[in-house]
Amino acid sequence: MRIESGQTAADAERMETIRMLRDSAIAFLGADLGRVRRLRFQDTGFDRATWREMCGLGWLGVRIPEAQGGLGFGMQEYVALATELGAALVPEPLILVGLSARCLPDDELLNVLSGERIILPAWQEVANALADAPAHTTFDGRKLIGEKRFVMNARGVDAYLVTTSSGLALVEATTQGVSLSTEKTQDGGHFGTLRFDGAVAKAIPVAPFDEAVADATLASAAYLFGLSERAFRLTIDYLKIRRQFGKPIGAFQALQHRAVDLYLELALTRASVESAATTIDAKASIAQQQAAVSRAKARASRCGALVCREAIQMHGAIGYTDEADIGLFLRKAMTLINHFGSERAHRARYVALMKVA
Amino acid sequence: MNTGDNLNELDDASFRATVRDWIEKNYPPEIRNPPKRLHFAENKSWYMALSKKGWLAPGWPREHGGMGLSATKQLIMIEEFERHGCARLNDHGMTMLGPLLIRYGTDAQKARFLPKILSGDHIWCQGYSEPGAGSDLAGLSTEAVLDGEHWVVNGQKAWTTMASDANWMFMLVRTDKTVKKQEGISFLLVPMDVPGVTVRPILNLERHDDFCEAFFDNVRVPRENLVGVVNQGWTMAKTLLGFERIFLGSPRQAAYALSRLEVLAEHMGLADDAVFRDRHAQFALDLADHNALFASFVARLKRGQELGADVSLLKISQSELFRRIADYMLEIAGENAGLLEPIEGNRDLNPAGLFLQARPSTIYGGSSEIQRNIIAKNVLDLPG
Ligand SMILES: Cc1cc2nc3c(=O)[nH]c(=O)nc-3n(C[C@H](O)[C@H](O)[C@H](O)COP(=O)(O)OP(=O)(O)OC[C@H]3O[C@@H](n4cnc5c(N)ncnc54)[C@H](O)[C@@H]3O)c2cc1C
Repeated sequence: MRIESGQTAADAERMETIRMLRDSAIAFLGADLGRVRRLRFQDTGFDRATWREMCGLGWLGVRIPEAQGGLGFGMQEYVALATELGAALVPEPLILVGLSARCLPDDELLNVLSGERIILPAWQEVANALADAPAHTTFDGRKLIGEKRFVMNARGVDAYLVTTSSGLALVEATTQGVSLSTEKTQDGGHFGTLRFDGAVAKAIPVAPFDEAVADATLASAAYLFGLSERAFRLTIDYLKIRRQFGKPIGAFQALQHRAVDLYLELALTRASVESAATTIDAKASIAQQQAAVSRAKARASRCGALVCREAIQMHGAIGYTDEADIGLFLRKAMTLINHFGSERAHRARYVALMKVA
Repeated sequence: MNTGDNLNELDDASFRATVRDWIEKNYPPEIRNPPKRLHFAENKSWYMALSKKGWLAPGWPREHGGMGLSATKQLIMIEEFERHGCARLNDHGMTMLGPLLIRYGTDAQKARFLPKILSGDHIWCQGYSEPGAGSDLAGLSTEAVLDGEHWVVNGQKAWTTMASDANWMFMLVRTDKTVKKQEGISFLLVPMDVPGVTVRPILNLERHDDFCEAFFDNVRVPRENLVGVVNQGWTMAKTLLGFERIFLGSPRQAAYALSRLEVLAEHMGLADDAVFRDRHAQFALDLADHNALFASFVARLKRGQELGADVSLLKISQSELFRRIADYMLEIAGENAGLLEPIEGNRDLNPAGLFLQARPSTIYGGSSEIQRNIIAKNVLDLPG
């Protein structure tokens, strides 16, 4: 370990942890996108065996205190991991289940962290709503009534952690009164619509739901950043090998300048995401934390859309085929840019929060 | 064939009413607003309805079975087709090959091929691009060698739209390898249902088999199927690209996208949102101005004037407006942006589908970058 000038030993140690976490993620995930491609449009859209392995690496518990069986890391570590998940287009719902895990009591947590049981959060009731919008699903301490929409990866999980007008409720997927319908998504996964018609559920009394949502939203921004950065790298590689008019197309200044614009957008996104993570780790006021998260998610959504659009354009016709890997990035971006809140929604929230922060 | 009354004599408003009324009565309802481009088997009923009515080729002269319409009236027709959500046809014969044959074909070629386009017997595809020759089209290497009374064709074409539906391909082939690359290219009409032609459909980003690869292995083509002069196909093909740019520059896709943006905004509860209204107004004005520009180009054509290289402006303007509207649809669609199918099964609400369809519009028919290069060099006369 080397300590740079102006850095404390604690800082250096932290950088080292982040580096190790990132390296182990890169080693585990590998560069091949064959697995991701094969899982598309299949039953659950992800693989349970891989899920258990990821849980074995502690990835679900990055933000859970060590005393509760997690890794007890900060947000900067989580963002580093989520960036790699995005670069590998990981279809397993780590960020989502990580959100519910933060809210579960100890007796529910253990077999979630081990990967045995998958509990998905279900918060959304209409399109384009943020996770902290008030819920209209009702819960009288026993029975759930209402509807949740856009529940990603809803099929093939064990239970749902549902936001209601009176707190969180945990409901088993197979309980009577729970029905699920799904719609396919561009990335090869699906959105579920969950209907609760008096399903019996268990109350989850005190939970740091807002903090967990902030973490998950920022992790989702980091995922988008990782995805965008890899799509960018693939495109730069392509600009170097594809030849037209007797030269690599990357020799044309029209494309060079646009590539640099993307590089700038990525630099802004990285800075935005990392500074938001620092804001959370520094335990700034809730309004400041949420404003930083909104700024990062707005930026990452814009960046994901922009980079993937340009990547397709610069690939030419081959970028418009399903068999080219670059399309996998575009499709994932399409499903994620507005999930956990669109650029527009987060921009609006940022402005509102800055008034109080 | 019924070539129709001379609709040019109607005033614009009654012409619009006539077209609208006829579409409403005759358009096959089951293929309205198709979420994906339709194959010939699916759009044939509409093709044949237009064929019977004599409305397949609004821009062709009446003597060749077209409608001979004025620029404004062609625009009105496009608007009415888009308004109703009419499917795009396998239109390479009408929009590209027809105008080229009318201009460069022999009388025998015109008599043989034009009626077959209008009757739906010949469905054409465009074989220009190759794996190694995209933007640099003149670098193509599929070759045709004369053997007695036949051209023998060998090579591969790529990204050929709807080749799996077509029974004919108009293609660019290399007929002289010894000269400058633009000077050894010829324009050949090749039947697809003969030995040696293999077509492989390719799945696109919409997971639809719109385009194909086509392989030619010693395909024998009668000598008289060459259009124009041997080794001078490039100049002719460039004119054809001019026609293509006129077609791709028509406000069709942008107009369609704008009307779907309105439906989406309604669905998302944004129709009265001030920010949305402003963006929508920008798009609406862009479209109106584009329409005016388009009409001025079509009018030049009608007066028999040559279209210069600045026809590329139309293609850039239209495709990029289409793309911007589609990009914005994704922005406001919320989670629906990620759906594989239209929202709630409603084909009018298909932001993800339209977004994907808009991607290649700035790639095919000469990419936006190439169109800009052409204007910079040939119109603005910039050095380099
Ligand atoms: C949906 C679709 C349908 C098509 N249908 C047909 C068809 O029916 N028939 C047919 O013949 N072809 C068809 N094409 C092919 C189309 O004409 C080519 O895709 C197009 O010419 C671009 O070539 P390319 O895909 O090889 O991209 P490339 O030429 O490899 O270009 C890749 C990128 O580099 C850029 N670039 C290249 N050269 C320059 C330069 N000098 N300066 C700046 N930028 C540059 C391009 O703009 C693009 O962004 C179709 C394509 C698509 C996507």
